Amino acid sequence: MTSFFATVSRIVRKDLRIESRSRRVTTTMAMFALLIVLAFAFSFVKTFRNPAVLGRGALWIAFVFGGTLGVTKTATVEDDDAALDGILLAPVDRSAIYLGKVTSTSLFVFAVNVLTLGATAVLLGYAPTLRTALALLGVLAVAAVGFAAVGVVVATLTFRAGLDELALPLLLVPLVVPVLLAGVELTAALTTGAPTGSWLRLLVIYTAVLLLAGVATFDFVVEE
Amino acid sequence: MTADARPAPATTPSAVRTDDVAKVYGRVTAVDGISFAVESGETVGLFGPNGAGKSTLLRMLAGLSRPTSGTITLGGAKLVPGDHAVHRTVGVVTHESMLYDDLSARENLRFHADLHGVADPAARCEAVLDAVNLSGRASQYPGAFSHGLRKRLSLARALLHRPDVLLLDEPYAGLDQRSVADLAAILDGFDDRTVLLTTHDLDRGVGRCDRALVVDRGRLRADIDLDETSPAAFEATYRRTIGVDDGSNGGHGQ
Repeated sequence: MTSFFATVSRIVRKDLRIESRSRRVTTTMAMFALLIVLAFAFSFVKTFRNPAVLGRGALWIAFVFGGTLGVTKTATVEDDDAALDGILLAPVDRSAIYLGKVTSTSLFVFAVNVLTLGATAVLLGYAPTLRTALALLGVLAVAAVGFAAVGVVVATLTFRAGLDELALPLLLVPLVVPVLLAGVELTAALTTGAPTGSWLRLLVIYTAVLLLAGVATFDFVVEE
Repeated sequence: MTADARPAPATTPSAVRTDDVAKVYGRVTAVDGISFAVESGETVGLFGPNGAGKSTLLRMLAGLSRPTSGTITLGGAKLVPGDHAVHRTVGVVTHESMLYDDLSARENLRFHADLHGVADPAARCEAVLDAVNLSGRASQYPGAFSHGLRKRLSLARALLHRPDVLLLDEPYAGLDQRSVADLAAILDGFDDRTVLLTTHDLDRGVGRCDRALVVDRGRLRADIDLDETSPAAFEATYRRTIGVDDGSNGGHGQ
């Protein structure tokens, strides 16, 4: 078990080191997310009077499409010069490789979402209370894990099967619709003070299901 | 010299053994029931034209691809899906370096050494860097390396965990003459190891190997003892086996 978590940790540290040097994943995601918030600002802010609705719309649209770009970039890092094959040649549990990739991808997605949340506050006037903002960060963290759990599998599948780039969003977005739906509803409930229990349960359970499905399928996805 | 290379039962396990191994992709049969054995310390070349199935066979031996049928044993241990411990016994070099451009040569090796659970990884990384003459470039990034240097670093990665068997897929492909000579000199230092290499470079392959397995259209066509066969005789046999007589290239699949 120590070896399992050591492998997860090694994959995460390797990804963080590469990202700290290249900034390939986070820069792309952040630029795309900010462009979405800016587009919302220019398109709706004069005519749409409810910044909370506008803010959560921009936040979660940026989450899905920025995240899709992010998982594409993380998969590219492993696809370049068959780097993933090098990891697969090690005598380690492939579930540990998968969980390592999910952890690092979740961190990238979450970090960009925090930035996006800040951008919605500045550009769209979305101003949640501190308590709401903290709760929202928790929701974003769980959603980032759910997104990464399925994103890593789909992106790896797409690259290893040599599918067209269009295949990635076509396969990924439908699978993360429950995450998106729960995220939007939880953001609304946290802002208005409505009950969050059922949506939170959906988000957590669906994320857990995606993680388990990823653990179960990753070995088949990476092996030809 | 025989095309029927089915290995006889052995008392000591072969370093590499395949029994009726096949790989089918949809309607395409890439490898069609290949059986052979490589004994410990042997250097065996898989010769054949492009598309013969050599690389697919090597990927199956490395555990990167699952055979559609048949069995593979490495050092007597059967390669079983999901059991990755057998990866400790093989080191693999392919066309691609399997390295990260944003990690230095030393960081790349340290990452792989840790994954393989190498004892005293820092010292081992320095030792293999020295073995492939890259000590002076340990802090540099592979993205800035020439193809030849990347190949040497890839060999260092494959040697990190002291594998019993080295699998080399077209090790000389894309290298200039000097890089080929450098790589050949490095490989000379590992003559005691079991090596299985694929190539369609007859001159280089014959010079390095004890035995030649000729593969074409997914099937094993000949098993030739190179100690008992002159290079000219092997070349003639090879061309006849794969159906090329003009002597101009390595095969029909070019």
